[in-house]
Amino acid sequence: MTKLIVEDLHLAYDGVKVLEGVSFQLRAGEVVSLLGASGSGKTTLLRAVAGLEQPDRGRILLDGHTLYDAAAGVNRPVESRSLGLVFQSYALWPHRTVAENVGYGLKLRSVPRAEREQRVEKALAQLGLAHLARRYPYQLSGGQQQRVAIARALVYNPPVILLDEPLSNLDAKLREEARAWLRELIIQLNLSALCVTHDQTEAMAMSDRILLLRNGRIEQEGTPAELYGAPRTLYAAEFMGSNNRLSAEVLSVDGEQVLLGGKDWRLLGRALDWLRVGDPAQAVVRLERLRVTDAPGPNRIQAQLSTAMYLGDRWEYLFHQRDLRFRAFGQTPLTAGHDYWIEFPQQDCWVFPEPVAA
Amino acid sequence: MTTLNPTAPQLALPAAMPARGGRRPDLLRWLVLGLTALAVLTPLALIVYQSVLDAPFFMPDKALSLDAYRFVFDDLDFWSALRNSLVIASGMLLISVPLGAVLAFATARTDLPGRRWLEPWLLTPVFVSPMVLGFGYVVAAGPVGFYSNWWQGWFGGVPWNPYSLPGIAVIAGLTHVPHVYLYCSSALRNLGSDVEEAARVAGAGPLRVARDVSLPMVMPSLLFAAVLVFFLGFEVFGLPLVLGDPEGHLVLTTYLYKLTNKLGIPSYHLMAVVAVLIILVTVPLVLLQRRLLRNAKRFVAVKGKASRHQVLPLGPWRWAAFGLVMLWLFVTVFVPLSGIVLRAFVSQWGEGVTWWQALTLDNFSGLFEQDNLVRAMVNSFAVGVLGGAAAVFCYTALGLAGHRRHDWGVKLSDYLVLVPRAVPGLLAGLAFLWVFLFVPGLKEFKNSMFCIWLAYTVVWLAYGMRLIQGALLQVGPELEEAARSVGASRARTSRDVTLPLIRHGLLASWLLVFMIFEREYSTGVYLLSPGTEVVGSLLVSLWATGAVEQVAALSVVNVLMVGAGLALALRFGVKLHD
Ligand SMILES: Nc1ncnc2c1ncn2[C@@H]1O[C@H](COP(=O)(O)OP(=O)(O)O)[C@@H](O)[C@H]1O
Ligand SMILES: [Mg+2]
Repeated sequence: MTKLIVEDLHLAYDGVKVLEGVSFQLRAGEVVSLLGASGSGKTTLLRAVAGLEQPDRGRILLDGHTLYDAAAGVNRPVESRSLGLVFQSYALWPHRTVAENVGYGLKLRSVPRAEREQRVEKALAQLGLAHLARRYPYQLSGGQQQRVAIARALVYNPPVILLDEPLSNLDAKLREEARAWLRELIIQLNLSALCVTHDQTEAMAMSDRILLLRNGRIEQEGTPAELYGAPRTLYAAEFMGSNNRLSAEVLSVDGEQVLLGGKDWRLLGRALDWLRVGDPAQAVVRLERLRVTDAPGPNRIQAQLSTAMYLGDRWEYLFHQRDLRFRAFGQTPLTAGHDYWIEFPQQDCWVFPEPVAA
Repeated sequence: MTTLNPTAPQLALPAAMPARGGRRPDLLRWLVLGLTALAVLTPLALIVYQSVLDAPFFMPDKALSLDAYRFVFDDLDFWSALRNSLVIASGMLLISVPLGAVLAFATARTDLPGRRWLEPWLLTPVFVSPMVLGFGYVVAAGPVGFYSNWWQGWFGGVPWNPYSLPGIAVIAGLTHVPHVYLYCSSALRNLGSDVEEAARVAGAGPLRVARDVSLPMVMPSLLFAAVLVFFLGFEVFGLPLVLGDPEGHLVLTTYLYKLTNKLGIPSYHLMAVVAVLIILVTVPLVLLQRRLLRNAKRFVAVKGKASRHQVLPLGPWRWAAFGLVMLWLFVTVFVPLSGIVLRAFVSQWGEGVTWWQALTLDNFSGLFEQDNLVRAMVNSFAVGVLGGAAAVFCYTALGLAGHRRHDWGVKLSDYLVLVPRAVPGLLAGLAFLWVFLFVPGLKEFKNSMFCIWLAYTVVWLAYGMRLIQGALLQVGPELEEAARSVGASRARTSRDVTLPLIRHGLLASWLLVFMIFEREYSTGVYLLSPGTEVVGSLLVSLWATGAVEQVAALSVVNVLMVGAGLALALRFGVKLHD
């Protein structure tokens, strides 16, 4: 069942276009992430759904009811949309205790006091906050504040919960744990969630589907595996994962198979877009796909190891070959200054035309 | 991090229901805006209307005419008053802007000795009634003043004359130094020292830095303060009333005040003309100020990060700077206030009187023997405490009406707030008198404190709104948005989130408004009637009757009331400016 429908949303601040026709759907029980670089309009989109920003054009529907419809002149105010919103800064009210923060939404819905207390207690217990009910926000750690903010948004059981960079205020270590915890919570409570993040790992870990936003438009939409494994544009390919990027000329095209040429190297790759012989092109290869070998072979480039960095679970190598530089992972320490042959598996060497006016 | 207990029951919450409250139109908001517009514009409209009548508006045989303008323009006194106002305003500009800027730089950026405790003292002239200051100069530095007498005894002959036009200009200039200081020092404080340090690293000496970096960056604020001082120069009333009288120097406001007696009959139409002319001078200046402020804001956007503030070592100049500050404090604060206090404790004063022989407390006990004086003190206190609270309530209502909105209602309230800035208190008081005379049904309130309170509240609208908006700006928008998102209407959000968060700011505003209301003197001048006396305005009429002892004692009471507010404010760490 479709929970939330966003259609052709446009929004501009003082003539500066921030959203330029965004459409997507959120199904019941699904977690969708809005992923994109900083300034791509993610927060604005989320706030438009919440009702905190007014779009110029488009439609927003929740459970079949219109929240916003520019054509029909409908714009439900924030408070009557009854969505759950978790702010990046958590925005806990400093003059209220944890229990009062969480209970406020119920109070607004005239839930009787006894029932309200019981529900708040239950929600706090569910999120592991039961012992903090009487505290004030400033007495909590970042992780605890985040959970209070989530409890506050969940307690009145909103049809959809919106989260704006829910993890970005936590320190790196805590963030990974919180990510797993949040995903588990959402699944277990069978929530429908729309989550903003600029961190691709987080987006992949958290969500069933990802919307990759670029300059107010959806660049690509799909499951984490689709976005990571089958990007449709150079931007999407580069945004996900860590990549090597090679500039080259298209020497020949044979169906999907394309031959690229640089100064003194040749590589076979897979064309993911229309390419013409003689055009400049960009090849993108994920770091983990490169294979470092000792001998020449098909689709290998000879390069000198500039340095190797130990990352704990693996090594990262930096290679130089004239004006080419690329990075690769491996499990063994290699000797800097030696020459190696790096294999670019043809299927993983994605080739896109050079973007115009890049 | 705790994990969920898989066996725990899920959050059993019923389906979301729409929050209570629904979508009531913003009735309250428009009511607040409408009332404000009414309170601000009616008096102004009445002044303009009266100025084109040939007789007071309540006379039956009035007619539209420009006679009043003709009369005023033919009056030589008007032209001399206009000239004097210009001289005083320019003098104030020349004195207070450089001095205020230097004081601000010295206290904000250098190792001036005692710069921490100096600030409240630097601001005192703002909180003391100019009436009191003027009177203080008369008894301290007038021809037979305490300091004049002492000086004469030592050196024979005094080199100063506070009654001369330059004398008035200098005194007005010195007492307006804090206005410049305020804007300049807050600009300097906002300016991170990193931009200055960058210049130091690049090889500029401290004075070079002040000239090439600090000064240009606070220039917008300085300009703003200069315009402010210039138009305040056209609004000064107490100082020229007291000091200009002996030699007959009139300025526009005192000319207006004296018009009452000019023709024998109530010359409201003439007063209205002068009021309109004064407003015609101040309105463009206020608009100019608004422009400048917008420019200043743009400047702030590129300011450095206001982090640590490195102080500039002045070396041997430290004490020279300290001397300058002390000299200014002595002349501007100590001389008039000590004069007043001394005068309040002696029975008479003149050549040949030694003060310890004339020492007495009679002046104070005398205050409690006259009903009108007692009432004045009670009324002043009440209008400060209760009226101050009510005014803060109104300012808050208007502040909330414009809070986080971007429609024409906000623009309207911005301009409404500007209007009273351009109308000096004396004129506003006059206008309110007329409103209460003119509007049917309001006459019963004419002789009530309500009338005075309303006039005060409107006159200080801009000041109060700055305080409230300053507090509102401190509230993070997402705290309010969070309330909206869990289902609170705008009104509910204001009540449950915004107001509780700014309660300290509101208390501080109350205290500051209290001080300003105690100090106020010109607004009440035309609104005094038996029962509605307030200390500040009563001083004006007592001064005219020559009751020097009463004026002195009442002035001390006035200063003490304001001082009590100031002490409380300092005790509770209220910021006296932004
Ligand atoms: N209130 C605003 N006024 C003007 N521009 C804004 C405002 N809020 C955001 N923007 C602009 O809109 C763009 C998208 O902002 P945002 O949605 O916050 O991006 P993201 O969350 O993806 O980082 C940015 O270029 C930002 O500068
Ligand atoms: Mg954002």
